[in-house]
Amino acid sequence: MNVDHARLLGLLAPECLVVFTALAALFADLRFWKHRTPGQRSHRTAIVLTLGFGAAATLLGLMGNTTANLAGGTLVLSPLSQHLKIVLLLFAIVTAWLCTETRFTRHVGEFMALLGLATAGMMFLVGTENLLMVFVALELVSLSLYAMTAFDKRSPRSAEAALRYFLFGGTAAAFTLFGFSLFYGVGGSIHLPTLAVSIARHAGDPLVLVAIVFVLAGFGFKIAAVPFHAWAPDAYEGAPAPTAAFIASGSKIAGFLVLGKLLQVGLPAAAGSGAWKAFAPGWMAVVALLAAASMVFGNLAALAQTNLRRLLAYSAIAHAGYALLALVGGSQPALLYFVVTYALAVVGMFGVVAVVENRTGNGSIAGLAGLRERSPLLAGVTTVFLLSLAGIPPLAGFLGKFLAFVAAAKQGTALGYGWLVALALGMSCVSLYYYLQVLKQVWVVPAETRDPLRGGTVVGGLLAALAVAVVVAGCMPEPLLDFLR
Amino acid sequence: MDRIVEHLWIIPALPLLAAGIIALLKRPHRKAAAALAIGSLGLAFLVSCVAFAATLHPAAGAGTVRLTHNFAWFDLGESTLRLGWLLDPLTAGMLVMVTFVGSLIFVFSVGYMAHDPNFTRFFGFLSLFAAAMLGLLVANNLLFLFMCWEVVGLASYLLIGFWFQKPEAAAAAKKAFVTTRIGDLGFFLGMVWLYHGTGTLLFYDKGAGCLEQGAIASLVAQTTLGGMAVSTAISLLLFCGAAGKSGQVPLHVWLPDAMEGPTPVSALIHAATMVAAGVFLVARVFPLLGASAAGLPADGHVPHTAALAVVTWIGAITAVFGALVAVAQSDIKRILAYSTVSQLGYMMMGLGVGGPAVGMFHLLAHAFFKALLFLGAGSVIHGCHGEQDIRRMGGLRKAMPATFATYAVGMMALAGFPLVFSGFWSKDEILHAALAWSPSRLPFALGLFGAFLTAFYMIRQMWFVFFAPSAHPAARHGHDTRPDAAAPHDSPPVMTVSLAILAGATVAMSLLATPVWPWFHAYLGGHLDHLHVGWDADGAVLATMALSTVAVALGTGVSWRLYSRSATGTDAVERLVPRLFGALRGRLYVDGFYAATVFRLNRAAATAFDWIDRFVWGSLAGSTAWIATGFSWLGRLLDDAGINPGFDAGCAGTRGTGRLVSLFQNGQTQRYLRLVGGGIVAIVVAVAWTGKK
Repeated sequence: MNVDHARLLGLLAPECLVVFTALAALFADLRFWKHRTPGQRSHRTAIVLTLGFGAAATLLGLMGNTTANLAGGTLVLSPLSQHLKIVLLLFAIVTAWLCTETRFTRHVGEFMALLGLATAGMMFLVGTENLLMVFVALELVSLSLYAMTAFDKRSPRSAEAALRYFLFGGTAAAFTLFGFSLFYGVGGSIHLPTLAVSIARHAGDPLVLVAIVFVLAGFGFKIAAVPFHAWAPDAYEGAPAPTAAFIASGSKIAGFLVLGKLLQVGLPAAAGSGAWKAFAPGWMAVVALLAAASMVFGNLAALAQTNLRRLLAYSAIAHAGYALLALVGGSQPALLYFVVTYALAVVGMFGVVAVVENRTGNGSIAGLAGLRERSPLLAGVTTVFLLSLAGIPPLAGFLGKFLAFVAAAKQGTALGYGWLVALALGMSCVSLYYYLQVLKQVWVVPAETRDPLRGGTVVGGLLAALAVAVVVAGCMPEPLLDFLR
Repeated sequence: MDRIVEHLWIIPALPLLAAGIIALLKRPHRKAAAALAIGSLGLAFLVSCVAFAATLHPAAGAGTVRLTHNFAWFDLGESTLRLGWLLDPLTAGMLVMVTFVGSLIFVFSVGYMAHDPNFTRFFGFLSLFAAAMLGLLVANNLLFLFMCWEVVGLASYLLIGFWFQKPEAAAAAKKAFVTTRIGDLGFFLGMVWLYHGTGTLLFYDKGAGCLEQGAIASLVAQTTLGGMAVSTAISLLLFCGAAGKSGQVPLHVWLPDAMEGPTPVSALIHAATMVAAGVFLVARVFPLLGASAAGLPADGHVPHTAALAVVTWIGAITAVFGALVAVAQSDIKRILAYSTVSQLGYMMMGLGVGGPAVGMFHLLAHAFFKALLFLGAGSVIHGCHGEQDIRRMGGLRKAMPATFATYAVGMMALAGFPLVFSGFWSKDEILHAALAWSPSRLPFALGLFGAFLTAFYMIRQMWFVFFAPSAHPAARHGHDTRPDAAAPHDSPPVMTVSLAILAGATVAMSLLATPVWPWFHAYLGGHLDHLHVGWDADGAVLATMALSTVAVALGTGVSWRLYSRSATGTDAVERLVPRLFGALRGRLYVDGFYAATVFRLNRAAATAFDWIDRFVWGSLAGSTAWIATGFSWLGRLLDDAGINPGFDAGCAGTRGTGRLVSLFQNGQTQRYLRLVGGGIVAIVVAVAWTGKK
């Protein structure tokens, strides 16, 4: 395997830039801005990150339609991977700016550096077809996220959430690695397309089945699918708001993309079926089971929540179920569109949470009472985000669900996955209840105080932009769909 | 017939099952453990007998019975790894021997280990050993053989170190493990090379196995370093493993030390079965060793190949070396251990000069009489309350009549007393083949000298143990009341019965390979139907018999004369040739030589690497650390200035709350993780269940 290192470096320039930016932010923060207030420091480091990540995104834009396959699938570039990296970078930038809204740490530089490393890990994850590389990148992402979760050192909840997240992550990584090693044992390769060819000859092998379940357990953790979800509510609640936003957005996009690639590129032969009365062992069956469990459990558990973050966590679990539906449907654009639009809304919601918590110190749903009067902007964007999550047309969330459900319905013969779609529709109705409960607080319940509640200008602007993006993506989906095709 | 070979796995599976169950038993369940171990091995013996019977009647014109059953184990990418069972006379004979001797030794152990608190564990290990040993025998795949080989090594390690509280035992176990591992490295390399060369590790696979014509011809055709045929190189590497396991010079050093284990272990593992595994391996891959440009070795004709020459020479040297050192030892088990080394050398030599039938017959005969001797020694040690030094025994002939009688049978078999003892015939065959070995007569001379020495040291041992004036304090003074100084007594029936059966088998074995009725040769060679009773040997046979009888008589006479007339105290030979005796007692300084060379080299290398690690890599890491320290020093300056006095208090508070909360939340994560585990199991079950329809 001969690798042209100069070319490799050229193609990895965006990743290098991201890492460099992360280290530059860390260095600048420690070297020059130590004496500033945390607010100033987070603003400055956010600017550094925005510039660096923006440059990396521009570079990716310039690379445009470059395709490459280096070192036997270790680095695979395609227009889609470029686009997804841009999306990830944008979410990282938003996350960086959310930091300016919270005061959870004085070590802003470190946090930003970890954010940058996690982003780099996700970019590697998107651009590889090599199981070993997938695992290494996944670990880079996970380890950065664990540390970022624990970053609020004044809050015991943060430490507890991080530990739980870490324990779960470790277990999941073990399962993933075990699954990968079984794949390697059966297929004799860690290169996905090569693996696909040899797996095709062993499709019915119980070992392959066990490997699939193990790998799905690992990724099920990453995307918070039932029954591998238990860490999510705690992590979402305990982690600093920017971390939670990033876990819910970037980490999820990357996770779903890799899972989709793994299953559709690597294991098309071991699909099996999850169709009604035609169950056949394979990843389809497992994914269908996970999807059903996630949708039911996530939506029902969300009904009982009083804390906004926990509510978002259970909603995330439910959304993981919907996204798995798109995976069952075998439609990559539908899956990516769904996940990206979901990420837009959920990052926005965490932005709102960050602002509200920072100003009022109250994380419960009741803390949003009277938001209409205290901050019309926040009330407006919250409405857009939550309705999108609930799947109300013409917002992006509606179209995302629509595409996912249609893809699933088309899969198989004679509406074989109709049971799953019907379940998803029913559970969507249930979900409307708890989203509207939040909106009721925002619009109907009067506030105890009428003090205005304002976030930073930049964050306010970003939230507004996210809300606009949600609306536009819903009304004019073609550009985004093309972008993710 | 095919049904038998398909189910050959039952034989190793039975003791394996027993080992598994015993592993779960608690300490006090001694009877259950012993019953399980003995029962399973007894059953395995019966199954082995069935398998043995199946090999007795070859189909007309088929020659040797060779039944195989191969099956796919797992796929690794493109290649499929196949395992298989193999039933041929070699396997069948060994199976019967191992299960039979093993069962007797298990029974003996019940008595011998009666006072040991870890009785249950002992039988678990013994069963594990038996399972691995039997697996090794039925394997039709070199990899599977190697795996069992390693488990056998593990069991040996566990059993040598069974009394791990004794530092010598722990050290001996380690020594055995490491030394055999050196040989195993060669074995492993040879195996990898063989797989590379032939693409299969199955021995016999309908013409496609690695010991069959096609594969071997291609290996012979290729040459490697110095013009050596690849088949020779692989053979020598595999022989390394065999030499390690079978205690051949220069890898013999572990075997005498292995006597630190309980005596039944010495009897079973380090005399009868495991150490013979190396010989068995050489016999198994004999087609490879004997392969030359002329083709595979034919029945009854042993080719002169480089690999076999090495086997012969190493064997001959080991035979004499072991016998020499045995002359000067004073520990009853060490003498037997060196005699085992010596006899293993004979076996190897037999394989080299006479082929599998000659070597294997000595192996089987030796297994019975050496097990008998070791159990006899165990009985002596048991009766003398743990005393192992022969100079402090004496006069046990009267105190332990049953042990004495059976021990005498074993001794005469080992020394090769003529006509009714199996050792005579088996050793005689080796010498006869060595006489006919054209490259050199020296191995024959060495073998003859070894026979003399064997008789010498066995008589010496017999004299000290059973005939010399008693050295026991109770016997001398008659009024010693210490409980541990009770007079020697004969062992309980559970031990002596095993001895008697083994003694019977030793004599019975002698009937199987006489020149008058060479049944064993015919059996291994696959021409039982041509077997007839009658004298059709040449004059060389008679000459060899006469010569070896003279050697034995000479050894016996000289030894008896020297020792029966000497006063107690110093050894007779020691008085005659003190320096030589000292050298022999010091085991010809092989251990010391290793300590001075290999160990020192190892230590020097370790020191060098340590130095490199510390100074070269360390300084690299150090300079990196120094740069980092520079940065952190910068950071610390800034940090110190900005430290909030209340921060420490805040931290303490956080820690306190954290502890409180973690106390409160303790167990939840585990419950969640249990949910994950349960979820995975549920999914696997659900998916597998749906797949069944």
